[in-house]
Amino acid sequence: MEKVKLKLLYSELRPELDKIEKELEVAVGSNSLLLNEASLHLLQAGGKRIRPVFVLLAGKFGDYNVDVMKQVAVPLELIHMASLVHDDVIDDSEMRRGQTTVKAQWNNSVAMYTGDFILARALEYITVIEDPKIHDILSKTMIEVCRGEIIQIEDKYKLDQTVRDYLRRIKRKTALLISSSCELGATVSGTDAETAARLRRFGYFIGMSFQITDDILDFTSSDEELGKPAGSDFIQGNITLPVLFARKDPLIYGRLKEAVGKDMTDSERKEIVELIRTSPALEEAKSLSDQYLNKALKELMLLPKGNANKTMRNIALFIGKRKF
Amino acid sequence: MNDLQIHSKITSMEIDVLQALHQRTLEKYTAGPSIDRARLFFLLLPFFDGKQWSDDMEDSAKTVAIVYAALHAHDQVEEDSPISKSQQLTVLAGDFYSGIYYQMLSNSNNIKLIQLLASGIIGVSEKKASLYEKTIMPVAGIESAAEVIETELLKVFYDYYGCSQYSAIAKPALEYVYFSNQLDSFRNGVETKILRKLNLALPLPLYSERWLLDKLDSLHSELTKVLDVHPMDFNLKNFMLHQITPHQHLAEQLTREG
Repeated sequence: MEKVKLKLLYSELRPELDKIEKELEVAVGSNSLLLNEASLHLLQAGGKRIRPVFVLLAGKFGDYNVDVMKQVAVPLELIHMASLVHDDVIDDSEMRRGQTTVKAQWNNSVAMYTGDFILARALEYITVIEDPKIHDILSKTMIEVCRGEIIQIEDKYKLDQTVRDYLRRIKRKTALLISSSCELGATVSGTDAETAARLRRFGYFIGMSFQITDDILDFTSSDEELGKPAGSDFIQGNITLPVLFARKDPLIYGRLKEAVGKDMTDSERKEIVELIRTSPALEEAKSLSDQYLNKALKELMLLPKGNANKTMRNIALFIGKRKF
Repeated sequence: MNDLQIHSKITSMEIDVLQALHQRTLEKYTAGPSIDRARLFFLLLPFFDGKQWSDDMEDSAKTVAIVYAALHAHDQVEEDSPISKSQQLTVLAGDFYSGIYYQMLSNSNNIKLIQLLASGIIGVSEKKASLYEKTIMPVAGIESAAEVIETELLKVFYDYYGCSQYSAIAKPALEYVYFSNQLDSFRNGVETKILRKLNLALPLPLYSERWLLDKLDSLHSELTKVLDVHPMDFNLKNFMLHQITPHQHLAEQLTREG
């Protein structure tokens, strides 16, 4: 339902997004039956296609041509898909978006080759653009996203990490790819440097808010809404912002310390989730998410008005309010 | 160029590649990047053979070695077992190395080579995945998979820099190294994807060892023939035959006349 609501916000992009969807289908086509099946399986699981949306919207601030925009939008979504299929191996996930993951349906190795294949397709696709700036932005982003994930694994189970550590991690893990989607969309459509920089910052702030919201929802949503047990991040050792704020209470800190990294029973998991839910931590996290959101909105206010600006604003507001 | 100079050049490139891929956490928890010296030898072969060699070629050769390291990291992820921290980071190592090769080539504005390598990686990934298809793969399919997996990216490099003539040498040599490793795995009771497919393709699993020995003989003979007619320095040919593909089964010595 939430996904439908979000899609309604950018319904004016429907024809372009349909074009991109068709292009994605062609892009994941393979001579290998297995890779073909695995990639289509992944593609058909759907997704919000938020990165192509930001590429297209950012492009509207410049000289917009959908056939040029898709040369960036398609590979960005492919890079995201490739990272998801590898992430499922890292997280040992059986389900994603209500479907079995590639690693669960086949095995870890098939998931690795599927991800490599999709990533290579993305690079094959984006190299039709010769502008070195595009490749500079994208390659740096790919490296930083990986660094973010490496740090995430390094920081697992570390209850004593700082909020700054967390913010630096989610910047790389989530915000950068959204930020780059906006910047690449702006660059490829030839906007001036200031507009491109504003759009990049808008994407960064939205990405930060989006990830903090995601981390809040891991505690506030029901198991059904999440499609996985609430508190899964904590069970997997990912110390997110609500936990970092909640640990300020010595009683909660003690309980978290006992539980982190241990095999928790379902009732223990529920107890931890309840402790976080009833603490002020979620409000504090929401407040920080809103601060990022406001910064994003401020960037928009300084950009030329128009439909794209309005849609970006609506998406930003939706991200701030989404329930799961 | 003598053996010492060849080894020294390979080592120098190995160090450069390792430096480019340096990442503290990955080094601590994973096996680190796999830089195959035989492959480095073939990437440097035009240089060893006295062909025109530029800084751009050397940098590109390093990036091809990095692509192989990226793909190799993902080969090390175990098929089914629950994933450990080291395995999680091995997944990320492959992705990180891919980002590095993309950045290196984009920094040198070598966009066309990024595209050609990406197409090569697609071919390699397709062949690797084909080893997991449930159908029985004929022996010719296994040979074709091994050829693409081992030589496709090197071929891209040679073709891009107008050195295609070296493909005919690198192909049997790198396949030789590959099947030689498979033979070692077979003899040590280690099951690999290729051995699994080979066992299914042949009437009896026991035939696999015989097939591998015959294959090694045939590849070695192919390599010797190609080298016999190639106007390459004798020392370089000898280095290749004795240090890259030492044939331990039916060793044929290259004579100065040959």
